[in-house]
Amino acid sequence: MRTALFTAGLLAATTLALPAQADKLDDIIASGVLRCAVVLDFPPMGSRDENNNPIGFDVDYCNDLAAALGVTAEVVETTFPERIPALMSGSVDVAVASTSDTLERAKTVGFSIPYYSFENAVVANEKVEMATWEDMKGKVVGATAGTYEAIWLEGKVKDWGEGEFRPYQTQADVFLALSQGQLDATVATVEVSEANVKSGNFPGIKIVDKAPMVPDYVALITLREEYGLINYMNLFINQQVRTGRYNELYKKWVGEEEPASLIVDGVYR
Amino acid sequence: MFNYSFRWNQALNSLPEMLQGALVTMEIAILSMVIGISIALLLTLFRLSRNRVLSSIAATWVEIARNTPALFQIYMVHFGLGGFGIHLSPYLSLLIGIAFNNAGYLTENFRGALKAIPETQTRAARSLGMTPIQAFKNVIMPQMLRISFLPMTNQMVWAILMTSLGAVVAMNTDLYGVTSELNARTFRTFEFFAIAAVIFYVITKVITLSARLLAARLFRY
Repeated sequence: MRTALFTAGLLAATTLALPAQADKLDDIIASGVLRCAVVLDFPPMGSRDENNNPIGFDVDYCNDLAAALGVTAEVVETTFPERIPALMSGSVDVAVASTSDTLERAKTVGFSIPYYSFENAVVANEKVEMATWEDMKGKVVGATAGTYEAIWLEGKVKDWGEGEFRPYQTQADVFLALSQGQLDATVATVEVSEANVKSGNFPGIKIVDKAPMVPDYVALITLREEYGLINYMNLFINQQVRTGRYNELYKKWVGEEEPASLIVDGVYR
Repeated sequence: MFNYSFRWNQALNSLPEMLQGALVTMEIAILSMVIGISIALLLTLFRLSRNRVLSSIAATWVEIARNTPALFQIYMVHFGLGGFGIHLSPYLSLLIGIAFNNAGYLTENFRGALKAIPETQTRAARSLGMTPIQAFKNVIMPQMLRISFLPMTNQMVWAILMTSLGAVVAMNTDLYGVTSELNARTFRTFEFFAIAAVIFYVITKVITLSARLLAARLFRY
């Protein structure tokens, strides 16, 4: 009896889990709401203002995308590791969450063209003697778990064969550990590093060098099979740059300099 | 609606790495239990003693360990002590955090077990000429450990599950740490966590079943 019940339950679950036939782009327009996963402890891309409202580059980007679709935007806060479960379980439609477009991840989710690009800096505790990024060799280093720079840094530590790599759960924990001296150095985006050095929340840290990584191109993501939506997002990103909105958002959230280039020389797309 | 196609090959290829992580998880759990039991015995003695200072140390320990989240305890070992310049590795922070929690809960288990042993036994032992220490060591403690044996295996299961909290102190070699790193690299979230869950389940099931068998062997009257 119990086995029969269990089998029936399993069968019901499998039937429910079959992919829906409707296109996500249609679903979003029909429902009138675009739900975006945004990481809100990653200024200036995502954070909260003093009234606890979500703000930042990614939040504005989500609002723009919703406006283009003619629907209202709903920002759903996630952490970096939670982006994918949120997407897969259908609690969000897209993630506007500074997601690095690695080939390994593209086996699982669908990436748009890049909408932003980060350069990374090496930040160290002031008490540690460091002149270049290579001085990280043999030191205790760390970064935010699951990010592009964490994957790069862990690879480096493995190559060097000495030192230690520690993945903390949030960017704030990484800088706390760095400021306490538990970490000798970290790699973080130039934007975040400069903001954290300037804010004074984490005394005793300094920017040492640029990390010699390929720029970290980040893209919008949705389910892998949603070509209609991916196609729409690609055109949307193109239009954001074309209309000058990208420059405007860059000035608003990042700084006065030229915004990061989204073009890779010598190749299409 | 849950809209996801499962693809297991990548996750299954990483099984050896995950099993390696499971070994680290077991190692931490076992060490934390050994340390936890030793401290709990000490705290139980503190509690029994007439010394105010000692008994309040025991009471404070138990209160904090049992009434704050284990996550907080582990976080404080790493970042709290870190603020005072005491830097512990992720491994040690996790081990100490779990051992602290174990000690608190086990002390309480031991207290319950002591209550189940009639007071008259101590008196009988003392009237046979044993010193208080001897009476505790030879008569009371063996019975106390026997009564609290199964609760102890509960705590062991907890210790196994608590290792997953190591993520907050950057632990990346235990089962959860290995899993979440594989997940970050490949985004195959559900497959990796499903396999991790199965491994956790098997470990804890083996522990509870073997503890029960062991108890049946050891504690036959």
